[in-house]
Amino acid sequence: MRDAIIVRNLSYTYPDGTEALEDVNMAVYEGEKIAIVGPNGAGKTTFLLHLNGILHGTNGQVEVFGKSVDKGKREEIIKEVGIVFQDPDDQLFMPTIFDDLAFGPINLGLKEEEVRERVENALLTLGLSDYENRCPHHLSYGEKKKAALAAVMSMEPKILVLDEPTANLDPRSRAELIDIIKGLNEREGITIVTATHDVNAVPELADRVYVLNKRIIAEGTSQKIFSDVELLNETNLEVPEVFKLFEVLQCFGYNCEELPLSVDEAIEHLTRTVENEGGHIHLHIHKHTHDEVKKLKTKYEHHK
Amino acid sequence: MKNFSFSAGFLFVKRKSAMIEYPEIDRYASLDSPMHRFDPRAKIIAFLFLIFSVVLIPDLKIAFIGLFFAIFLLLLSRIPISFVLSYMKWVAMFVLSFFVILAFTFPGEELAKFYFLSITAEGVYTGSLITIRAFSAIILIFPMIGTMRFDTTIKALDRLKVPNSLVQMLMFTYRYIFVFVDEFQRIWTAMESRGFKLRTTLYALRTIGKAMGMLFVRSYERAERVYQAMRSRGYTGNPKTLVEFEIHMKDYLLAVFIIGFAISLHVISFVGVF
Repeated sequence: MRDAIIVRNLSYTYPDGTEALEDVNMAVYEGEKIAIVGPNGAGKTTFLLHLNGILHGTNGQVEVFGKSVDKGKREEIIKEVGIVFQDPDDQLFMPTIFDDLAFGPINLGLKEEEVRERVENALLTLGLSDYENRCPHHLSYGEKKKAALAAVMSMEPKILVLDEPTANLDPRSRAELIDIIKGLNEREGITIVTATHDVNAVPELADRVYVLNKRIIAEGTSQKIFSDVELLNETNLEVPEVFKLFEVLQCFGYNCEELPLSVDEAIEHLTRTVENEGGHIHLHIHKHTHDEVKKLKTKYEHHK
Repeated sequence: MKNFSFSAGFLFVKRKSAMIEYPEIDRYASLDSPMHRFDPRAKIIAFLFLIFSVVLIPDLKIAFIGLFFAIFLLLLSRIPISFVLSYMKWVAMFVLSFFVILAFTFPGEELAKFYFLSITAEGVYTGSLITIRAFSAIILIFPMIGTMRFDTTIKALDRLKVPNSLVQMLMFTYRYIFVFVDEFQRIWTAMESRGFKLRTTLYALRTIGKAMGMLFVRSYERAERVYQAMRSRGYTGNPKTLVEFEIHMKDYLLAVFIIGFAISLHVISFVGVF
């Protein structure tokens, strides 16, 4: 497996002296899905801007596919790394969707035919085929968000960096966007780096999770991170709802070691348990059940 | 004050209770007419020529000919007159004030006298001339840029070798004016929902000043984020767009006709046909 992104001892201080990042280390392999989670103001967006050389660390180094992200070589880097910003109105700055999607490829110096082909493909991937001549201000927020992703996809990056892709979306748009991102990773092998607060999306959007709060506080599989209650409390995070539900089931005597994090995992988990236990699941109330449930309910209440 | 409005060139933003009206000079761009089918580049050149021509007419009778021609082209474009009038009223307020000032202050033969103010024939003549010329020019704007989408106008200007930085300014203004309208609307709603009412008191004006200040701060921050997004996609200073403009014989003929008319307005005023 090739290294897609290597970050070594990266520090960044804002011009006004505020320290945003401190000695950040990270390694992302090609084809991997990574989530970066952390509280508000943890420096997630600032960190993402280092990945294609928009910002340069006061200290440390970022490498993309073995090439160092230096000031002189930004053109090569933006070909590999596409960043989708949180607010689609920041991202869609051209008068029409077509112009916006063509913006990147034209800047890469592609021929007109290839630009048109790429725009077409990106629109198709995102299900926006009839949107070419629409203006951004006539689109809904969900459509804008998809168009913003399409505008980056038209550059055909190998690494896709997403800042809060699911924020402010209605449930259906959110599910759609998660599916699209997963599909890009599975079908086209695009490496995905997502910064998010949406813990319910993390299991779907990431194989591995980094917890960032100026420094990297923890790293590991979703399973490992979400099992670490102390870490979660420290960084204002929560566990996915499915995970919580299975913790409740445990109080009622459900037997499992690794708790599922997503609906898909839950289905798999339940099927396995039912099969192992002879066709049914056994739940009951024993003498500790109520105490355990009570304890569970206060477990994630950070404010107490 | 129920309608709160501010203007940006010919773009007007009207606030009606909770809804905001976007500035849309190109609302009727999807109609079909000879003006809509006119090649954007030829259209811009021909109309600019004609506009310059009508504002330079020295004679009132010929100015009327210019006005009728402008109205003719407007009718040809099939843009609803009511739409044009809704914009014209702002221009009228501005231009008619000039008319009044000129009528009363221009030296010449006295027509009537109110106390110490007198209206002169020359004043009325000059005032009418300026008014007619201004109306003609404004009317011509509609068949020119109201008959194509504004992004097409921008691309046509780019193809006409208008300086790229100017084209970019237009492009981003067009894109973000809607975002700013929304942003101001949100600030305004937040203010109203906490009991703010627009009055002509110092307090209200100060509050509006602060709200506008906030809008500037937000715009500045947004500009920074937009610039980051642009650089992320390889912006180096002069973005290009892809367009397919096709110019045909009929576009040349129409352009020649309009430009020919523009020139003949001055020829007849020079020769003195009237």
